[in-house]
Amino acid sequence: MDMFLYMDKDTYMHRLDPRTKTFMMLGSFAIIAMFYTLTPLMVISALVILYGASGKTLPNLKRIRVVLMMIGLFSLVIWSFAKPGATPVLGPISWEGIIYGVAMAIKIDTMIIAGMIFLSSTKMEEIPVGWVRLKIPYRVAFAFSTALRLVPTIVGTSYIITQAQESRGLDLQSGNLLVRAKKYIPLLIPVFVSVIRGTNVFAMALESKGFGYSDKRSNYLETGYNKADIILLTVLVLLLALSIYLKITTKL
Amino acid sequence: MHNDAEGLDNPRGQEVIRIKDLSFQYKAQKGEKALDDLTLDISKGQFVVIMGPSRAGKSTLANCLNGLIPNFMKGKYEGEINVLGKNPAKEKVGTMAKDIGLVFQDFESQLFSTNTKLEIVFGPENFNMPRAEMQKIIARILQVVNLAGMEDRQPSTLSGGQKQRLAIGSVLAIQPKIVCMDEPTTDLDPIGKLGIFQIAKELHEDKDLTLIIIEHETEEALEADRIVVINDGKIVRDGKPQTVLREVEYFESLGLMPLQVPKYFNRLGVAQADLPLNPAAGMAKFRELGLVIEAGKYGELVQKDAEREQSYGDPIITLRGLEHTYANGNKALKGINLEIRDGEFIAILGHNGSGKTTLVKHFNGLLKPTSGEVIVNGKETKQHTIFEIGKGIGYVFQNPDHQIFSDTVYAEVAFSPKLRGFSSEEIDHRVKEALKAVDMEGYEQEDPFSLTKGERQRIAVASVLSAQPKIIILDEPTTGLDFKEQRQMMELIKKLNESGHTIIIVTHTMWVVAEYAHKVAVIKDGLMTMYGRTRDVFKEDEKLVESFLKPPHIVTLSNYLGKTSLSVDEFLYCTQRNAEKR
Repeated sequence: MDMFLYMDKDTYMHRLDPRTKTFMMLGSFAIIAMFYTLTPLMVISALVILYGASGKTLPNLKRIRVVLMMIGLFSLVIWSFAKPGATPVLGPISWEGIIYGVAMAIKIDTMIIAGMIFLSSTKMEEIPVGWVRLKIPYRVAFAFSTALRLVPTIVGTSYIITQAQESRGLDLQSGNLLVRAKKYIPLLIPVFVSVIRGTNVFAMALESKGFGYSDKRSNYLETGYNKADIILLTVLVLLLALSIYLKITTKL
Repeated sequence: MHNDAEGLDNPRGQEVIRIKDLSFQYKAQKGEKALDDLTLDISKGQFVVIMGPSRAGKSTLANCLNGLIPNFMKGKYEGEINVLGKNPAKEKVGTMAKDIGLVFQDFESQLFSTNTKLEIVFGPENFNMPRAEMQKIIARILQVVNLAGMEDRQPSTLSGGQKQRLAIGSVLAIQPKIVCMDEPTTDLDPIGKLGIFQIAKELHEDKDLTLIIIEHETEEALEADRIVVINDGKIVRDGKPQTVLREVEYFESLGLMPLQVPKYFNRLGVAQADLPLNPAAGMAKFRELGLVIEAGKYGELVQKDAEREQSYGDPIITLRGLEHTYANGNKALKGINLEIRDGEFIAILGHNGSGKTTLVKHFNGLLKPTSGEVIVNGKETKQHTIFEIGKGIGYVFQNPDHQIFSDTVYAEVAFSPKLRGFSSEEIDHRVKEALKAVDMEGYEQEDPFSLTKGERQRIAVASVLSAQPKIIILDEPTTGLDFKEQRQMMELIKKLNESGHTIIIVTHTMWVVAEYAHKVAVIKDGLMTMYGRTRDVFKEDEKLVESFLKPPHIVTLSNYLGKTSLSVDEFLYCTQRNAEKR
């Protein structure tokens, strides 16, 4: 089963410098964080999705659609109740609350989508290469990309372990919340033990291939700013400036 | 100590590894040592195979060579090692990596890159190799490890054999002068194993490269220049394979698997120096001694197979047109019809990724057919939950660490009957019985995590047995165990079969299948390509090889004579000895 998020495609986005893709993600986060109302968030969301589509990364969203929908639904329900407004709809729910809930749903989901676009278009190996150029220590950058690498491994292992315990009669479908929570112990312990053992071999393999031999390290992947990088970064800076300007001058 | 290392081409002054009085004790160890005053020299260009039972100190030795011990794993370290003029204990592991490359058994945890190319260059990058040179290295390594055309593949999509070859390639890319592989073939199918040894053979043609392989597959060790046998942290044998591998009785006393062909002739009383080592030489010896196979006795064996088949009960698992397509569109099973009857002992064989695990996961409802049907104990699996189907069928997963979670052995074994809602007296009774069956009585209060792999495997079996299922599936029950532990495990499974359980095993270990399974089903690319009594399937040497399987030596030898014997004992039984001269 393929559990890596990276999508090996040949698009301009995949060829971008990893730094550009990092900035695009962080820039999206910053802009999204500035706004709390529906209209600007919808515009930003559309831009982010457009950006994602230009790199053919959107099919990956299918894999997290449940998460996106759950977050959207939760946000809608919670804010509908929690945010009082002038136009009552039903009981404590107000029209303003619903709108705010939708806005928050878009806000959080768009951030996740921006992160997903980054992970779908950036090879794990590119992350440390790009970040080192941003003066982040290699070991820190490598640890981050390794953590990402571990996610699919852990998911894969938990999948096997769940099957092993279900074969022994563990029934995860029934019981109330507390009973069910207790049922996860036979899953969690083997997952931890297996991951720790696996990580140990991984660390030994790293050391045995000269990891940390010296601070001078060459890179097979070639990175550097090209035309596309410059255009995208310019657009990003302009959008950031526009957002800040709008934020200060209007009440969006 | 028997030592004919003198007889080896061991030119003085050419030693690349010098080990003197090396002892190591892990922190957790009390009393015993992993390595005990071990002294060993290895010369440039040698191909050395290191053998020994579980916990003999083989991996400890390998990890000492590049300094993982004592730098990464701590403990009490004494003695001295010199690897190409450096002392690994005093250097960074990264520094040693330039001279000595280490490949581990667990290829899943060793590979971490997005594609094959990047996996190969990880080492060279660490040593600051210029990019132009890396491109040359990639092309060369892909050739050496036979992965040409796969440079853009994601490692996780490769087969087991390919993964391990990639792991070897990623180490070779650093261009070390010594390569040490720690049980590289344990998790591979027979042809995957052969692929690794093929690479080893080709690497050995480079007279500057020293090759050390830790291995317990005796058949493959024949290719080496030198075999070093370790037991209890000490070297007990050191010499040419032709000499060491003839010591059939000594190997047996250590709990190692002796080669089958010399074992057979040893039992016939042939002198040690004259023992043939492989099937071809065995055939010549067989003729020379004027031996014949008694048709009558062979007939008895065939007759016994037929009688056993008569004794089976009703069909207990029925597959009709079973197909399975995974969510990603990968069609793993392409229409399988199979009937397993009560009391059978069937082995499911197939290369890594053939679909055999997907197949058996249908037997207890972990997977449901996307087309066709599976009926287990009279229940159509699509209509029932795993919990219900699981009452009648137990499944022991390959890695015991994927299921063990309790503080005590007792709690672990009691888990399943508890979930099935039995009374505490009943549970107590069942745990006792299950532990007795796996020969682990008295271990009730032990911590399962502190046991050896072989013991943990037995606990995993006990924890399935305690639910008293009619059918037991075991996925690779002998992987990672040494020969003695494998024997114990298989004898245990045989006993379970004789006491009425239907047994289904998935395995790569061909001698285990030959000696224990009644029936064999071979899966290749999602289809069942061979099926029948073990003797009939193993008769077809060539067809097995087409399915990436390779019968054991004794089977091959007996096939030359047209009378398929499944074990040394069977072959001895059929041999007419009147013409033999002692």
